[in-house]
Amino acid sequence: MSHPLQVAGNKFLKALAKHADVIMKTYLSGRVNELDFDGKVLDKLINLGVLWRPEPGEDLRLRSSIRGLLENNLRDERNRQLDANIGTKLAAIKTVTSHYKEALHHQNYAESEVYMEDLTEQVYGLVDSLKSSVRNLWRRIHNEFGYVASINAKIRENELAQSQLTEMREQLEMFQFDQLAAIAGSSRELRRLLVVHLQRSHSEISQELTMAQSKLIDLLGKFREYLHRSQLLKGFVLHQQQKPDHQIKDYSAAHNVPTLFNIAKAMIKPANIDVNNIEHERLFADIVSHIKQVRHANVGNNEHRKAQGFDVNDIESIDIESNIIKVAVENYFCQIIDSGVQLSALEYHQQQQLDINPEVWVYGVINGFQGLSSEEQDFFEIGTQGHVHPSFSGNFIIEDVALGLR
Amino acid sequence: MISLKGQVMETLLSGDFICKTTDELAFQFLQNSENFAELERQLNMMNRTIANANDGEVLFCAYQVIDEGERKVVGQKFREITASLLPLVEWLVLVQEAKGDNAPLSEGKVVRLNELQSVIEDTPAFSEQLAKIAKYSLFNSTSSTVDAQLKLVFKRLTELGYLLRPNPDNQIFLATGKVDYLFEVIRFIDDSENLNLAKQAEEAIKQGDLL
Repeated sequence: MSHPLQVAGNKFLKALAKHADVIMKTYLSGRVNELDFDGKVLDKLINLGVLWRPEPGEDLRLRSSIRGLLENNLRDERNRQLDANIGTKLAAIKTVTSHYKEALHHQNYAESEVYMEDLTEQVYGLVDSLKSSVRNLWRRIHNEFGYVASINAKIRENELAQSQLTEMREQLEMFQFDQLAAIAGSSRELRRLLVVHLQRSHSEISQELTMAQSKLIDLLGKFREYLHRSQLLKGFVLHQQQKPDHQIKDYSAAHNVPTLFNIAKAMIKPANIDVNNIEHERLFADIVSHIKQVRHANVGNNEHRKAQGFDVNDIESIDIESNIIKVAVENYFCQIIDSGVQLSALEYHQQQQLDINPEVWVYGVINGFQGLSSEEQDFFEIGTQGHVHPSFSGNFIIEDVALGLR
Repeated sequence: MISLKGQVMETLLSGDFICKTTDELAFQFLQNSENFAELERQLNMMNRTIANANDGEVLFCAYQVIDEGERKVVGQKFREITASLLPLVEWLVLVQEAKGDNAPLSEGKVVRLNELQSVIEDTPAFSEQLAKIAKYSLFNSTSSTVDAQLKLVFKRLTELGYLLRPNPDNQIFLATGKVDYLFEVIRFIDDSENLNLAKQAEEAIKQGDLL
């Protein structure tokens, strides 16, 4: 390579690296916002042929060669172009081959080497562009045209890919290996390049294309199926909305029930336990051991153990039926207070002709006296009348009590 | 231990559908013509036969001969299917739209309940739609929260065999072949009653008032 060319190339690549952010922004947004960047930088990039203005008054855009470079390198899905111009490339290859042969013929080896280099580049370039086209196709197939959203767009993309593929296959037919073999003649190097290498790549690529094509057709079928299914669902909902009283015909009543609706009844139910089966003994024992213990003895008590409801209303007034003795004792006390005269209990008993056992009566009076509070007891004086027990000393048998005011 | 054949037989006789997603082993077992013939012979003894839908992707048990008793059962099954058709279809549309998919659910597709729930909760139109679906007697939900409605719907669908929950620890569901069966049913009704459902949908899209 000549020296000035190398310098210019280096300069160009450095400029690209230096303004990478401008270029990437342009690549991603499609155009340059001229206010965002320095005018000098943009002018430089225009001069280098990185940016261009398609029409006066239009925004600056990235040149397609730079764009293609980025798309290829980034495996961007937006790259949907296939370079299928094989015919011209083949013609170029044939021309360079002729140059090479002529140079050889004139024994101009230095020149022939340059032509050979050029030819190799051309052949490899052709194969590479074909292979990258195939890769490009596969990439789109693999993500099922994920770069477009609607199913209709996917179908259109698929159709585009199919037409590109067909075109590529047509172009591939332009390889005429008998011609290439004739051109290569007996030269080993030419045969290696033009016949062996090209042929191998050609068959590889054709194979790939065939697979890609069948995959594309598959995908198209799938997309159509998706579309159809979506439409069926929406159509059904719509139909039900518009004609809510539409009754689906009873196909089960038809003479020949369609297979779809011929569904047999589920007939298998869980089996029963066979406790006599020795093999299952372990399992049953295991199950039994996991059963929670239940105490049947307590079952009846549960009713009592439950919380009981109760009212928090005011307590109803309770009538306590006054005991006859108690009433009589009260009257006796009252009489003592009213009269102020000491009166024995038995005397009062006789006075009032009470229908109470005298012994009970005396006991009731003592009880009544003791039942008073100590302040009230202080108003009264109680005296006991009786005798000591004849045989057991310390025991005093009360026969009567006398009550009076203090 | 029960053999694979026994398992397949049991699945079929319990009225379940077999597809690659629900039971790959059983499905492959039936792909073998010998196994298929043997099972078919044994089922024939009980007036049953193996039927398929969706080009053999879904297998189920059908009657060999339909007489009075069988017709009753088939009629009842048919009514069950047609009654649940609209709720199921609306649910499928909801799932497709909420997931932003191009295609409705079909066998083997994954539905993540949590993702679906967050989309539905964020979109009032979807929540409304879900509430409507959950109220159908097929699901019979009385709850007013998206969470409960969605969980109930998914639980019911799993019970009915439309969904599969491979791991009970997480909320990831797989659609089974029964979903494809559903499409087959709709297609059948569409074809035999000349409803032109797809065309209706297309025209509605053109008019821009779909759903």
